[in-house]
Amino acid sequence: MLRFVVRRLGQTIVTLLAASFLVFVLVESSPGTVARKMLGPFASTEQVQMLYESLHLDDPLMLRYVRWLGVLTGVVADPLGDPALKLGFRDQRGERYFGNFGFSTQMKQPVSDVLWERLGNSLLLAALAVAVIIPLALAMGMVAAINEGSVVDRAVTVLGTVLASVPEFASGVILVSILVVTLGWLPGTSPLLPSGRWPVYIQFILPVAVLALFVTAYVARFVRTAFVEVLATPYIRTAILKGLPPRSVIFGHAFRNAMIAPFTVILLQVNWLLSGVVVTEVVFAYPGIGRLLLEAALFGDIAVIEAATLVAVFLATLTQFIGDIGYMLLNPRIRL
Amino acid sequence: MSERDKTHPYLKSLYAQLESRRIGRRDFLRTATLLGMSAGAAYSIAGISPGLISSALAQTPRKGGTLRIAARLGDIKDPHTYSWGQGAFIRQSLEYLTLTGIDNVTRPLLLEKWEASPDLKTWTLRIRRDAKWHSGRPLIADDVIWNLKRALDPKTGSATVGLMAGYLLERYDTGEVDDKGKAKFSRRLWDANAIEKVDDYTVRLNAKVPNLAVPEHLFHHQLFMLDPADGGEFKVGANFTGSYQLVSYEQGKRAVMQARPSYWGGAPHVQTLEFLDLGDNASAAMAALAAGQIDAWRAVDNSSLDAVKTLKDVNVYEAQTANTGAVRVRPEAKPFDDPRVRKAMRLAIDCKSVLDLGIAGLGSVGEHHLVSKSHPDYGPIPALQYDPGAAKKLLAEAGYPNGIDSEVYLKSAPAWESQVVQSMVEQWREAGIRIKMNPVPSTQYWEVWKKVPVGFTDWNHRPLGIMLLGLCFRTGASWNESGYSNPQFDRLLIEAEGKLDINERKAAMGKLQTILLEDGPIIQPVFRSIFSAYHKRVKNFTMHPTNYYWYKDVWLET
Repeated sequence: MLRFVVRRLGQTIVTLLAASFLVFVLVESSPGTVARKMLGPFASTEQVQMLYESLHLDDPLMLRYVRWLGVLTGVVADPLGDPALKLGFRDQRGERYFGNFGFSTQMKQPVSDVLWERLGNSLLLAALAVAVIIPLALAMGMVAAINEGSVVDRAVTVLGTVLASVPEFASGVILVSILVVTLGWLPGTSPLLPSGRWPVYIQFILPVAVLALFVTAYVARFVRTAFVEVLATPYIRTAILKGLPPRSVIFGHAFRNAMIAPFTVILLQVNWLLSGVVVTEVVFAYPGIGRLLLEAALFGDIAVIEAATLVAVFLATLTQFIGDIGYMLLNPRIRL
Repeated sequence: MSERDKTHPYLKSLYAQLESRRIGRRDFLRTATLLGMSAGAAYSIAGISPGLISSALAQTPRKGGTLRIAARLGDIKDPHTYSWGQGAFIRQSLEYLTLTGIDNVTRPLLLEKWEASPDLKTWTLRIRRDAKWHSGRPLIADDVIWNLKRALDPKTGSATVGLMAGYLLERYDTGEVDDKGKAKFSRRLWDANAIEKVDDYTVRLNAKVPNLAVPEHLFHHQLFMLDPADGGEFKVGANFTGSYQLVSYEQGKRAVMQARPSYWGGAPHVQTLEFLDLGDNASAAMAALAAGQIDAWRAVDNSSLDAVKTLKDVNVYEAQTANTGAVRVRPEAKPFDDPRVRKAMRLAIDCKSVLDLGIAGLGSVGEHHLVSKSHPDYGPIPALQYDPGAAKKLLAEAGYPNGIDSEVYLKSAPAWESQVVQSMVEQWREAGIRIKMNPVPSTQYWEVWKKVPVGFTDWNHRPLGIMLLGLCFRTGASWNESGYSNPQFDRLLIEAEGKLDINERKAAMGKLQTILLEDGPIIQPVFRSIFSAYHKRVKNFTMHPTNYYWYKDVWLET
């Protein structure tokens, strides 16, 4: 077990390094320089060139990457924080500390000032969505599987297929036009600030609903398939023939075995909920890490892109790790 | 010297021209105000009502309340380098020396008045005696000079340099060399006395060439007056002269401003302004407006317009503007080096149909020279008629009987730009001009806009046609994205800029416009209207053609 954890940790670090380097190369190859973006379209070429040099954008790629690593680990200070540059970049935490993601060139403030709050918001959104998705998907999937072939089963399957094929940008707009514009029951955006007559907690309903609609239907179909398979196995037949009550057959015998496949799917979805909710966050102006990443990517704000990527990769490996532990608990035949 | 003697000598002639109907009332208004006549006097002489006082004033404004506005809240540290978005927000707090109103007439704001010398080279700016900083200190000449000099210093990075370089700055060799060994050039004031302090409340601009539009330039979107003590930085707690005080600022989230009771222009009606950052997504702003989370969405895009109009508690405001976009080619390379090819590209476009298809008729047709009929200096010349047959013939004459192929760069947002280009591309195809569309994110576009062979660039509304011609087509101008260079055009342009007589100026403009029709590098099919949406409880709002907005006169109904 300990060996497993150590090995997994090693793999994670290698993955993080590889991902961060790839992002550096990709941002480098996209046209348009950060200096131009900072100064806007109307600045002269000379002005852009001056800023370009003071941002150290003309240093070789490898040098900038290694320097970025040094800043992150707290070995060196971010050169952008040099007061002589007059960029106005200052970090209250000090010049050197572990986990320093540097300065955002778009927001002109330390990445750490925005990252953690945004990440917290996204985690909250994901947690709320998961809290809705899991019970709902399990219930739908199990009911459908137990009544396989019935009207209920058909209804769940059809509904699931329809909902899982409506992309979030469409379902978001549809829900808004019905619940916000026509009925006026809910607020249309979720900036997580008291706005108008809407308290903050009500602003979670629509984004969570959009995420839940999409994912629940998808997971429910997996749950159904897995349950149908398990319910057809000889040991379940034996259990039923022994005269065990249905509740005991489902929860005592079928549940654990049937959960292995859906568990993987749920973990993958959790991972997606944490880093891939860009569309939902943008549609509802939700201040999460997805929207942050999108805006940073459009601007070419490398410090923010790197930070968000590292967080996403880390969360992905973390959910994978939890998944492995979970398999072991669900299926004792698996040894780590 | 008495007050009377200080009035510009040309005003008398201008008045005579108005009397004899040689010039229109709008022409009189604009020129007279630029030469230093007060807008009120000019309006009463011209005998027209300013049309600015809306019917809402008939009701008694209510004090108090909170106005919530959707706005992008980026970095606000350096006002002299703001791009459009931030300026829109901070204009409630920081002020300009002048203000060009919704009627295209420029008035003094922090100035009390200005005077121009007969040769239009010397401009005397007189500062309001009652304009006070929030700290209680009066605004003085040293403040104004500090701000002008800072904005005109290339190191600051302000676009003011591009605007005023022609008459206040000179290019010089810095003595340094770049990596390739080429001499580095920069710009500085053309004369040590170019910005001169006369007394505590008077500043004089000594220009090297005449320019009539100086007061309009002082309304440049970055030319805010900051307290020198703040070192060019704006933040919560910084000094300001405007009607609202910034009390909290959370970048990317929310900003709050409170009314300043001691504002020199009278305390504003609305107590609190709250700005919410909802990102760039139009559906978020639309939904927030529908749910009453915001009262104001100031830049409604065409694609959301129909939806916004269905909201029952919302008023949609329209401003007809000279806001436009144009495809421009670079005449340096084949096939665009041949003027016949460029003219063929204009002949092949049916502007009316671009107006209908591209922007759903929400605007007016363009005439391929950026000058709009609404510009006071529009030269009355016949428009180029749509004629795809003639276009094909010209192409064949130029040696391209099988047509030409190229690629147009454009911004992927806002949507109207792609739609306009799309409809142009379809029409060109019929004339054998095969152009592929290459949309790129806007930040990337601004990196290449002056380099690509074919590009589509949008141009914000300006009160004068000649301002755009000078910015876009003068040889070597910093925004001359096409690299267009025509000595005859340059000569006529300088002539036109120095012309005070409106009819002579219009005639000169007509010649410039004709050159652009025959030889110019742009194809400009439409001018567009812009829209904003406000909740019905917001009273006394007027929309400015540049979409600048001030909330000091607005009030909220309960």
